Amino acid sequence: MIGSIPLSDVLLASAALFVIGLAGALLRRNAIAIFLSIELMMNAANLALIGYGAALGTREGQVAVFFVIAIAAAEASVGLAIFVALFRHTETIDVNKVNLLKW
Amino acid sequence: MERLIFDAAAVIAILFAALMVLNRNPVKSVLALVVSFFFLAITYVLLSAPFIAAIQVIVYAGAILVLFLFVLMLLNVQREETPEKEPRPIQRFLGGAAILVFTIGLVEVLSGKGAAPGPPVAALVSGGRIGALARLLFTEYLLPFEALSVLLLAALVGAFVLVERERRA
Repeated sequence: MIGSIPLSDVLLASAALFVIGLAGALLRRNAIAIFLSIELMMNAANLALIGYGAALGTREGQVAVFFVIAIAAAEASVGLAIFVALFRHTETIDVNKVNLLKW
Repeated sequence: MERLIFDAAAVIAILFAALMVLNRNPVKSVLALVVSFFFLAITYVLLSAPFIAAIQVIVYAGAILVLFLFVLMLLNVQREETPEKEPRPIQRFLGGAAILVFTIGLVEVLSGKGAAPGPPVAALVSGGRIGALARLLFTEYLLPFEALSVLLLAALVGAFVLVERERRA
């Protein structure tokens, strides 16, 4: 089915996605946008896992990605619940305006 | 040919990911990320992982991102306002610098002499059949798989507890 995709292409795409996600996580102010950026970073890692798995001819990479996606679902549900609770408390999800835990 | 399709899909995924980060409107951000994840699913198919591509579309683009959209519309978050005065200029500058350093390092590692370009990605012997993956999941990785179901249950209960309004009995 395949055989002509060099691993370096996969890794470069993964790195580009990860860097974009990192930039979003560090520079955005909206908490949900930061969360989306983190999802993007996880997907970048998934791409690298699947790429390495295919290059090495094993399915372990796919198993790891399966777990990552399931954990991302759990994380998204809890994270979004936190944002809903936060919004009820402070009427904002701008991370610059939320400093309840700041010393 | 596969390489061409892979590269095209990856470039489109990266473009939409950039759009996601650059867009001030969170709803448009989510929609851009949905498109990005769809094109990532195409790259998964080309890397002989059709099952992962399917759950990428169903669980990620379908369930998780719709949950994001749902919460965004529930909270009615307007576009991210840009304050006239940057409240944390130093931290923002440091964040940009950290991204730059990380990018340079990553490019250095990936294109350096130390990292050989690597063998071309080979198709798995039996294609990407789901059966083999399922066998792996239910034999070797059975314990993490079952632990995952407990984790999902815990997340479910946790989400309920977090959003529950305090009841005055």
